[in-house]
Amino acid sequence: MDIGRPKRIIEVDPVSLPLPEVVPDLEPATPEPAPVEPDRSRPAP
Amino acid sequence: MPARLETPVATLAEPIHAWRTWTLVGSRDGSQVRLAPIAGDGRPWPPRRPAQASCTRDRSHVRPELECTCGLHAVESPDELRRTRDPAVLGTVALWGRIVEHEHGYRAALAYPQRLRLLCYLCFTLWGRNGPGDCEVVVRHRGGRMVPLCGPHLELSRRYGYRVPRILSARAIESELLATYAVDPLRELVRANGGTAESISARR
Repeated sequence: MDIGRPKRIIEVDPVSLPLPEVVPDLEPATPEPAPVEPDRSRPAP
Repeated sequence: MPARLETPVATLAEPIHAWRTWTLVGSRDGSQVRLAPIAGDGRPWPPRRPAQASCTRDRSHVRPELECTCGLHAVESPDELRRTRDPAVLGTVALWGRIVEHEHGYRAALAYPQRLRLLCYLCFTLWGRNGPGDCEVVVRHRGGRMVPLCGPHLELSRRYGYRVPRILSARAIESELLATYAVDPLRELVRANGGTAESISARR
């Protein structure tokens, strides 16, 4: 495409980025670790 | 004077909205559709993240460089895009970061599509934005390149021996494209991003 000759340089620092909103992921990324069972193989002190 | 042009003369808080075209690539079943630049490095634009300018001539300079042709190109009017080589998608795009403003368009460091529609390149070349009809099919070629066509131009292509290896529904491909980039369809072919020409000018 022909955009012609350059005229000037602009710096655009947008207040909000023109990107789609990120939908929050309601599912946990990794399953929560199962509770650790106490080690019953060893005698209690 | 070039030395003066190098210095940014304006700092804006709103992105600039302009027009551009892309090619389209996708998988065999019509999924994984991506916008790809017609010229330049050919890398597809990432969904939900800004496209970033690169330079195939000189990786060391700032992008876009005033004296180079690098940057993400866009134009002020869709009519400027009629001579683009084989476009598949027409859309509006938001530009930000460092931008070189030209007589008829821009080269930007960062960009993201705002509204998109599939384009029959034969209709667009012949009639521009006043062209008739929507695309009916998308012809997928080996390698993944996708070519949207209207019904009459599909028939014409077959009559003249244009290879039509795999035909997909244009409606399904456009829906996939819009969902991938999470953008709205382009219906209005007069003004970028549904804004007025005045508001576009005011953003500069």
